[in-house]
Amino acid sequence: MSDIPAQGFRRATEETKGVQVLLILGVVACMTLLLFAPLIAVFSAALADGAVAAVQSLGNADARSAIVLTLTVTAIAVPLNAAFGIAAAWAITKFEFRGKAFLITLIDLPFSVSPVVAGLCLVLLFGANSLIGGWLVAQGNPIIFALPGIVLATMFITFPFVARELIPVMIEQGKAEEEAALTLGAGGWRVFLTVTLPNIRWALLYGVLLCNARAMGEFGAVAVVSGKIRGQTATMPITIEMLYNEYLSVAAFSMAALLALLALVTLALKTALEWRYADQLAATHRH
Amino acid sequence: MIKGIIHRSPMPGLRLSMGITLAMLSLIVILPIGALLSKGASFGLEGIWAVVSTERSMAALFLSFRISLFAALINLVLGVATAWVLVRYRFPGRKLLDAAVDLPFALPTAVAGIALTALYAPNGFLGAMAKEAGFKIAYTQWGILIALIFVGLPFVTRTVQPVIEEIEREVEEASATLGASRAYTLRRVILPMLTPAALTGFALALARSVGEYGSVIFIAGNIPLRTEIAPLLIVIRLEEFDYDGASAIGIAMLVISFVMLFVINGIQIWSRRRIGYV
Repeated sequence: MSDIPAQGFRRATEETKGVQVLLILGVVACMTLLLFAPLIAVFSAALADGAVAAVQSLGNADARSAIVLTLTVTAIAVPLNAAFGIAAAWAITKFEFRGKAFLITLIDLPFSVSPVVAGLCLVLLFGANSLIGGWLVAQGNPIIFALPGIVLATMFITFPFVARELIPVMIEQGKAEEEAALTLGAGGWRVFLTVTLPNIRWALLYGVLLCNARAMGEFGAVAVVSGKIRGQTATMPITIEMLYNEYLSVAAFSMAALLALLALVTLALKTALEWRYADQLAATHRH
Repeated sequence: MIKGIIHRSPMPGLRLSMGITLAMLSLIVILPIGALLSKGASFGLEGIWAVVSTERSMAALFLSFRISLFAALINLVLGVATAWVLVRYRFPGRKLLDAAVDLPFALPTAVAGIALTALYAPNGFLGAMAKEAGFKIAYTQWGILIALIFVGLPFVTRTVQPVIEEIEREVEEASATLGASRAYTLRRVILPMLTPAALTGFALALARSVGEYGSVIFIAGNIPLRTEIAPLLIVIRLEEFDYDGASAIGIAMLVISFVMLFVINGIQIWSRRRIGYV
């Protein structure tokens, strides 16, 4: 690999320069149309009436309550899913039991269920017409069209994220270090906190990052269970839809730009993790 | 009972970790899906079929599946090409492109939806160019196709990319030494190695597209029988408080999801047997 090919000479394990340039241009053109152009469209539509109008549209009461609601939902759903991810990865990688493959399939299930169907399932289980839902409404604690429903919908959609990142990393690391710590007399929690956690921290952060991005942006499942009550159960994505349908373009795109910025920060952090801590992430993220 | 299922292990935390796992899995995933399935069981197959076989439901389900299939096929080709370009070639902006491929995972679907609509609508930048050429993208099935290509874009690239990185140059060198042309090597040596990963990515993209809602509804136009996707029809039925109608279509979609999950697992088992990795 180290020798430099002579002028006009092509390695037998490479495509011709012409093919290379054509492929690169083709891919870059497609990605520009599909990825970069929509991103530019969001920011230019948000700034159509100037930066002041964009910022002002985010300052009104409904917009602020949407932002607070989205942050609240994320602050509940993401830590719970992180705790679940750690517990599931521990149970799956530290023990041998029958039905493990089936358990993993069940954990992955939310990835292949439509968000709208997920919302529908929650409405059927907890809606006012159901057994549980009817009782909860009578108690004055409704789940559907209220905060708990939005949290449950968000948790359903982001359910596999953390577990998916941790399981391959923990399989790769094996049990030897934990077993050594146990032999030396450490208790269960101490083993987890001082041996396992430092080994998986970057993979955990990676999973939490993706989980958080998806949680803040979830639309389909939340749209079904939120009831879309302005100022109460309208999250940021739901508010974007309502503003867009009312032809309040600047306001809709300003809020969209805020979420797009979050997506960009997520991508930047994710890429930084992939470069810096590649050896501590699942193999598919090392490139 | 537990002793027969779980092997004895000196590791601590079995009860706690398994307890949390099963409790949350039940509350968040199994019970809600069970609620839909039991609703379906109460209709019986004929009851579900009576709703699903109506013209509007069939049109919506068929549309969702058909356009998702086209989008996943386009993503299959584009994804393999992107992965190849990112791993094998060096050009300015490569790392930026590599990071940007994951944008559809990170960008909220509603944001993607209004962004694509703003761009491809007749008064948008690209939509206006298409209009000049006598072509309408947004508010037609082409718009749905673009949104679904966007949503499924990262899957094939991200499953194929690590496989290309693992290919050892010696294999290609051996093929070239034995007199194979580059095209022949790509077709007979490289492509078979990529097939399982590419198919996995294809199936994941397809599964995601069939159920996609947020990025599609803004650009689709949502005309019944023509540009109305199945998830939207569920939402419409729910807004009419027609829970039975919504559930019947939801069950049809759930069955499609289960089949896809089964196929994805099948591909992965097959590829593990064939080449030892996924």
